[in-house]
Amino acid sequence: MLQHDVVIVGSGLAGMSAALEICGQLDVAIISKVYPTRSHSGAAQGGIAASLGNSEPDSQEEHMYDTVKGSDFLGDQDAIEMFTRDAPEIIYQLEHMGCVFSRTGEGKIAQRAFGGHSHPRACYAADRTGHAILHVLYEQVMKQGKRISIYPEWYLMSLIIRDNVCRGIVIYDIRSGNFEVIRAKGVIFATGGYGRAYRITSNAFANTGDGIIAAFNAGVPLEDMEFVQFHPTGLFGQGILVSEAARGEGGYLINGKGERFMEKYAPAKMELAPRDIVSRSEQREIDEGRGIDGKDYIYLDLRHLGKEKIMERLPQVRQLGIDFIGMDCITDPLPIQPTAHYSMGGIPTDKDGHVIIDDKGTQLTGFFAAGECACVSVHGANRLGTNSLLDAVVFGKRTGIAALKFAKGPRLSDMKEDEVLAPVKERISAVFSSPGTESINDIRDELKENMMSNCGVFREKEGLNKGLEKVKELRERYKNGKITDKSKLFNNELIEVLELGHMLEFSEIIFKGAIAREESRGAHSRTDFPKRDDRNWLKHTLAYLTEDGIELKYKPVTITKYQPEERKY
Amino acid sequence: MRYALFTGCVAKGAARELYSSTIKMAESLDISLDEMTSAACCGAGVISEENEVLSDSVNARTFAIAEDKGLDIMNICGTCHGVMKKAEHSLKKDNNLMDEVNKVLKSGGYRYRGRVKIKHLLNILVEDYGLDKIKEKVTKSLRGLKIAPFYGCYIIRPSELSDLNDPDNPTAIEDLITALGGEPVDYEGKLKCCGFPYVMMNKEGALTMAGKHLSQAKEKGADCVVTPCPLCHLNLDPYQPEIDKIIGKRLKLPILHLPQLVGLALGIKPKVLGLKKHIIRAKIFR
Amino acid sequence: MIFSIQRFNPEKDTSPYFQDYEFEIPKSATLLDCMNLIKWTQDGTLTHRMSCRSAICGSCAVKVNGHTLLACKTQASKVIKDGKVKIEPMGNMEIIKDLVVDFGQFWEKIERIKPWLVPDESEKPEKERYQSIDDFRKIDAGSTCIMCASCYSDCCSLDVDKGFLGPTSLAKAQRFIHDSRDRERLSRTGEISDKGGIWDCTHCGECSERCPTEAKPLERITSLRRTAIALGITNNIGARHVKAFVDSIAHSGRLNENILPIRSMGLFNISGLMSLIPIGIRMMMRRKNPPIIHKPIDEAEDVRRIFRKLRKG
Repeated sequence: MLQHDVVIVGSGLAGMSAALEICGQLDVAIISKVYPTRSHSGAAQGGIAASLGNSEPDSQEEHMYDTVKGSDFLGDQDAIEMFTRDAPEIIYQLEHMGCVFSRTGEGKIAQRAFGGHSHPRACYAADRTGHAILHVLYEQVMKQGKRISIYPEWYLMSLIIRDNVCRGIVIYDIRSGNFEVIRAKGVIFATGGYGRAYRITSNAFANTGDGIIAAFNAGVPLEDMEFVQFHPTGLFGQGILVSEAARGEGGYLINGKGERFMEKYAPAKMELAPRDIVSRSEQREIDEGRGIDGKDYIYLDLRHLGKEKIMERLPQVRQLGIDFIGMDCITDPLPIQPTAHYSMGGIPTDKDGHVIIDDKGTQLTGFFAAGECACVSVHGANRLGTNSLLDAVVFGKRTGIAALKFAKGPRLSDMKEDEVLAPVKERISAVFSSPGTESINDIRDELKENMMSNCGVFREKEGLNKGLEKVKELRERYKNGKITDKSKLFNNELIEVLELGHMLEFSEIIFKGAIAREESRGAHSRTDFPKRDDRNWLKHTLAYLTEDGIELKYKPVTITKYQPEERKY
Repeated sequence: MRYALFTGCVAKGAARELYSSTIKMAESLDISLDEMTSAACCGAGVISEENEVLSDSVNARTFAIAEDKGLDIMNICGTCHGVMKKAEHSLKKDNNLMDEVNKVLKSGGYRYRGRVKIKHLLNILVEDYGLDKIKEKVTKSLRGLKIAPFYGCYIIRPSELSDLNDPDNPTAIEDLITALGGEPVDYEGKLKCCGFPYVMMNKEGALTMAGKHLSQAKEKGADCVVTPCPLCHLNLDPYQPEIDKIIGKRLKLPILHLPQLVGLALGIKPKVLGLKKHIIRAKIFR
Repeated sequence: MIFSIQRFNPEKDTSPYFQDYEFEIPKSATLLDCMNLIKWTQDGTLTHRMSCRSAICGSCAVKVNGHTLLACKTQASKVIKDGKVKIEPMGNMEIIKDLVVDFGQFWEKIERIKPWLVPDESEKPEKERYQSIDDFRKIDAGSTCIMCASCYSDCCSLDVDKGFLGPTSLAKAQRFIHDSRDRERLSRTGEISDKGGIWDCTHCGECSERCPTEAKPLERITSLRRTAIALGITNNIGARHVKAFVDSIAHSGRLNENILPIRSMGLFNISGLMSLIPIGIRMMMRRKNPPIIHKPIDEAEDVRRIFRKLRKG
């Protein structure tokens, strides 16, 4: 049995930010299913928000208001206020660490426009901002040397909670096939989002919601899981992300009739309306037969920006088009479609990453969460672009500070290793001893298609119910899933089987939440309930695992400065 | 056919047989050469490690000399060729650099206009002259001879500046060998580094590298190696006795310059082609 | 189409072998798509790494037809040759299983160059430190590295000498050495000028050729060599070789191959000089030695003039 004062699961922006706060004072470890620099934070392209006012005057209040409005008033305003207030300081810290930012003529951090933000607020490093921040944080982690233990390519198997106190985790060494129990005073989950369950997705293969499901199965509720953001510009085919920066720099969205159709939906903001609105507009054009040649995509046209601007500001966007679909955005418009992108829901936390298990603010002692896997909630029903990197760094850091403070107190709890290992080993042996009559690949494909067609950009009762039944059917078939690789060494087929199990579990929660929520808010858009319903639904969903399956409860939204109003752009 | 010949330093120094065999081969093929005796060293990628503009200027001067002659450049050294292509690329994509360099050249009476074509003998033979015509000129076919091509880095990398069709899988030397009646030998090391650039800094590394490639060629049955770069030749031939020691076996692989191989097939005597000047002499060419 | 993939599971295999998978490539599929389809529909034991599938996480580099590339950003149809493609694990690293290799030494070499900014601690700016657009551009390309190790895999110098830091580490070093905010330029440049550093690169160009980003290690290494010489870190064979080379051209327009090795080794480097003797003798025996009397090119004076004008210091 291993032990650390604090153990962090996930090595993206949130996980590493937390570790950097704790190291040197307490013994801290990072567990990650990939090498830290492979984490999906690195794929974020366009920028990180902060009201620095480097290119035009800006204020924290405006950043806060934009975020509240963007969240369709489901964001908790106390958290959003703090989040936007911490932002500038966080950016300066990243810069001081050595983060490579694009600069203004004066040498300040450059900022550009982004959807839903009323000023150019996105600090950026060309179009690889997430990569720049991920790598600078890993540099700082390397600088700490042995003060941060790293377990690369170890997989989270379970979260150990006894008597409402978090005691540690069980992990699996992908390379050797061995299990370890880590006792810890504090456990932080920074395990990322759950967008991988969709066929068209910008998410990495790794984003399978392992952390949230480990928490859920340990008795933690999950909040607002029905809110899955579709990004408006996924490259046609698989949904590989074309950065919002492409629109921030002035790109047009064009339908099959050659129109800039955003005129109809958001005449003031046009292409730079928030993501939920743009994705819906695209989907509507496609559904009503105005896709390109009547097909299920529209065009992102950058040609008018000219070669020089594209090469300088959007080099990665251009390269993606060339490599993945063989098109050069300097000379061709890019075919795009909405792509599952960001998980607004997750493990409920307060502003300092403490996991909160009910509507009364009760903390789960010793358990913390930060980043996309957490739901504070600053993004509510819809996240604004560039607020996710900020979320990961701000709450990663705050959670690190809170976990440090907490873990200085208690002693490590005693644990019977066999007792916590038994269910994990049982689960693995169930996988290996399954009758093997069902193809894991078929189940996964059917799940992804089901999420796409029944729980995508637009939703309605009948489809949702059908979709839920399908998930239940797939969960049954999953029990007979086939595995061919029986070896201990680097068995990533086993990992894929476990991941699929997690995706099936959270998909059911998404459906349940979406069926219950009879309104349209942010990314959750019901064609049978097209209006937002503040009287009945201005509240967060909490999904619990009970003996009878998933049970939904609700908790109120914190509203301080801004009363809900109609959202127009 | 007439070209402005850029000999490079090595063909006038440690590999004079490259120069003399080039002249003989060209005579035999009726290619006329106008040697640029006032052109300076290309810099071999070394001058640019001190001063990039200096390196570009020296090469621009060479280009201007050829332009004044109204001829395209023929390189017989792979490294010179690669370095010149790089300089040409830098100058052509950056007007400011072009102006700066031309200002420097002006007092010498030169101006580079960006018109001259820079070619390596290999491409001249395969494309300008043509393999069919070469076949007709062959009087002493290399039939029965297994020949391993060794391309050298500068002729294939960076690929976007290479003249070869598919620089990751080139076939120019193989095609030429076939046209001369010989049999090309395929082996992994043919596109790799010979090790010469750092033989002074890391001799063991450089010779291990060379040994690896030559052993592979030998295992595949090569009778000799042919290279379009005399710097590769300098690592593979004069150092071969030391390479033998490192890999623990006697290779005895003659390393021919490209025009030597062509010259043999044209019926020119090995001695005239300078084959006796190599450290590794081979009975097959007596 | 035939995908010939190198397999190796040390739990049961004694040595690597190739297994062929026959497979129709779906329209516009990437190589990674194909590898996944093989794993998911033909053989679940096939093991490879992947994550983002958009060329930013650096997980999926493999050797394809002998050259390393990212499987996710490569159209499969482009690498098929005569109906076949050969896929192997990366080079210069130990195989763990199939296409999965051990990155241990790779990361250790990254850590060796102190890969973090060392700013001037005395100044505590309230906001961001300023950096001009020109200064940003000096580090922009180098900082795009995704640590995929494609360059490391195909590096010829590493292939024969595991002591070489390798192209990735050196490109990473450049990103700090040329950062206007870093205060350790001199000591960093000194450290990478030692054995195993910048002068142990043969500039074969493989690294930049394989690099899937703008990091292009060879260009970074070349710029580091310039910096080392400009900073006067020249007490090594590599830097002396550059000096002697440029001096020689500055003098006669043509390289003096007799003087170059001697000056490169250094006049007081007795063992280095001795090591030149066997090859010297060997070449003299064949009259392959460069002419004793070094003849300048025609118009050498014009070349001298250019060197005087452009050469600093």
